[in-house]
Amino acid sequence: MNNIFDKLYDMTAFSNIIAEPQFLIMYAIAFILLYLGIKKEYEPLLLVPIAFGVLLANFPGGGMGVVQADQNGMVEVQGVMKSIWEMPLHEIANELGLMNFIYYLLIKTGFLPPIIFMGVGALTDFGPMLRNLRLSIFGAAAQLGIFAVLIGAILIGFTPKEAASLGIIGGADGPTAIFTTIKLAPHLLGPIAIAAYSYMALVPVIIPLVVKLTCTKKELRINMKEQEKLYPSKTEIKNLRAVKIIFPIAVTTVVALFVPGAVPLVGMLMFGNLVKEIGANTFRLFDAASNSIMNAATIFLGLSVGATMTSEAFLNWTTIGIVVGGFLAFALSIAGGVLFVKVVNLFSKKKINPLIGATGLSAVPMAARVANEIALKYDRQNHVLQYCMASNISGVIGSAVAAGVLISFLG
Amino acid sequence: MENLSLGLLLMVVGLPTVFLILLIIIYLGKGLIAFVNRFIPEEIILKNNDSESGIPDRVKRIIAAAVSEATKGKGIVTTIEKR
Repeated sequence: MNNIFDKLYDMTAFSNIIAEPQFLIMYAIAFILLYLGIKKEYEPLLLVPIAFGVLLANFPGGGMGVVQADQNGMVEVQGVMKSIWEMPLHEIANELGLMNFIYYLLIKTGFLPPIIFMGVGALTDFGPMLRNLRLSIFGAAAQLGIFAVLIGAILIGFTPKEAASLGIIGGADGPTAIFTTIKLAPHLLGPIAIAAYSYMALVPVIIPLVVKLTCTKKELRINMKEQEKLYPSKTEIKNLRAVKIIFPIAVTTVVALFVPGAVPLVGMLMFGNLVKEIGANTFRLFDAASNSIMNAATIFLGLSVGATMTSEAFLNWTTIGIVVGGFLAFALSIAGGVLFVKVVNLFSKKKINPLIGATGLSAVPMAARVANEIALKYDRQNHVLQYCMASNISGVIGSAVAAGVLISFLG
Repeated sequence: MENLSLGLLLMVVGLPTVFLILLIIIYLGKGLIAFVNRFIPEEIILKNNDSESGIPDRVKRIIAAAVSEATKGKGIVTTIEKR
């Protein structure tokens, strides 16, 4: 009788959880992320699938955790070392389970991040950027955190590839961070994706904090519309629709010529935007890119990224380094944008509110919305949203270009 | 040390590359706007369908539809005056 109960006990997950209590920490992390996504509504479309993926991956015997291949692509399958790239997909599904099938088919191949970028492009309006082109340069300054943290991470012992994957969190762009990490340091995908999306969700906290530390009240009161009246822009757009249609084609061509490594991201972003801007003739493509494909891609990406966070892959000092380094990258990127605005203001009559620099990192459109709220706090008439959107959108291109540079050099 | 110099190289090359690309995009955008303004400016079609009352036909149709909906088809709009 006891033997039967012993077998029943072994059959359940309890025996493994008691033997390895670190699973409990992973459940706590999953529940916190679920709480943030559901109750606090922090990026729920991403945090909820990621958190549920964490939960699924950490039930012993469930077979839903992603098995990371080593640097040579070898994984242990029932005690035998096999090259993951020589295993047919049906064998991966059969031997390693559903989540590994999704991960190695859609994530490890680098398929999903560009697909998500296509959806992002379909949901992005380049109008504010085209109307305020000169503000787009702050999308470059706000990539400072990527490169600063890259050096810092190398100094504390990360390899250049790992450091680049950590630094890219400062781009504040989830798909870009995932794409870069897949190419350079896939074994860090779980913690980097979690850090990137968590900090993106915490934009309403991080931007005000950095702005408070780097800006004066006088600077935050700079009214962009008054500056516009004092020094009106000479550029008038007579046919915005035509410009919006040609723009994605032209940008893709230029980026592809200068930084081919950024083409998968920027190219798909611009394709999504193009089908949106063409209008009725490509409405079905726009609809698919921005709804069904985007939603399906988000589900698979979120679940499988979460499933990379098994207890053995997540609970180590590297993860803590990523969490701290990711925050620094994020904060330095915001500070970089702010400081560049201050430098420009030294030489320009037409003053710019430093909040426009702070939104040079991606996290569209939340960063712009948060900056607008800060501006309104200091001046009820100072609506900076459209100006912030210019640097915010160019930040998406900027971080994708930075990722392209890193992949070209280190990949 | 080798890794550190690689990191510094990436900083020195990477950040200016991002600046350069965005500068190119800015000037590309400006050039594009100038090109479109010059060669394909928007065709502004002014349809002068308004009747003597000065109320656009579209507005008249909306008012008629609203009255019809509110009176369940019994009410008919005969005249609309602008004051």
